[in-house]
Amino acid sequence: MARYLIVASRDITEYTNGQSLSDLSENLRTEGADVFFFLIENGVISARKDSREAIRLSELSGRGIRVMADDVSCRARGIDRLHPGIELSSMDELADAISEGFGNIYWY
Amino acid sequence: MLQEEAEEGILKNKVRRVAIVISTGSYMREAPTTVLRLAEKLLERDIEVNIWAFEEAVTLTNREQVEHSEPPSLRKVIGDKHAYVGKFIDQLLRAGLHTGKLDWVTCILCAQERGVEHHQMNGVIVGTLGDLWKFVRSADQVIAIPAYR
Repeated sequence: MARYLIVASRDITEYTNGQSLSDLSENLRTEGADVFFFLIENGVISARKDSREAIRLSELSGRGIRVMADDVSCRARGIDRLHPGIELSSMDELADAISEGFGNIYWY
Repeated sequence: MLQEEAEEGILKNKVRRVAIVISTGSYMREAPTTVLRLAEKLLERDIEVNIWAFEEAVTLTNREQVEHSEPPSLRKVIGDKHAYVGKFIDQLLRAGLHTGKLDWVTCILCAQERGVEHHQMNGVIVGTLGDLWKFVRSADQVIAIPAYR
């Protein structure tokens, strides 16, 4: 099965073209790919519970996309409550996933 | 024993070599910190990491960087000295002696334009786009960190 990693390092609510990442993830998943959506740096702002983008990310999670938020980035921004469906993750988990190999890595 | 464990680690990973391309300089955004955090974790997994630094990222390895003192009112919180990013890159390059290997190459043209070609830290290679091409060709995985405004 094809595997893709999408990393959002920018605040998707500020850089609105970042919202296309959700569509990209969804389309890849629809085609049967394993999709990892990793939020880091200001990307984790979208993981905050009840934020508009978090609701969309939660939908993606419901479709089998793993949506993860970097723990260090969350702590640095005082984000301690993630929206359901978004996992608190770590750089270790990201490195583990990369070591397994992806068909492509898209870093935004 | 340690050698055997290391070899098992390499065999376990499907990815053996990762190339990372970065263009963000010191004190601009978090990208360099993220790259260092990721590189450290990949090296711990015995994955070879090749970093290609261009544009402002060539300033990350400027050896003339120095620590400066933090304001007295903040020292209890953040320590006495404000560390510079090159210090952490130096530590990672040294860590490569005992884990996966790290190569850090800065673009010669970008370094010359910024006057830091002859100020690069020990262990850093001043290279060309040919090195980038070889990194990409030989990598199992390429990660390009974009610059943005």
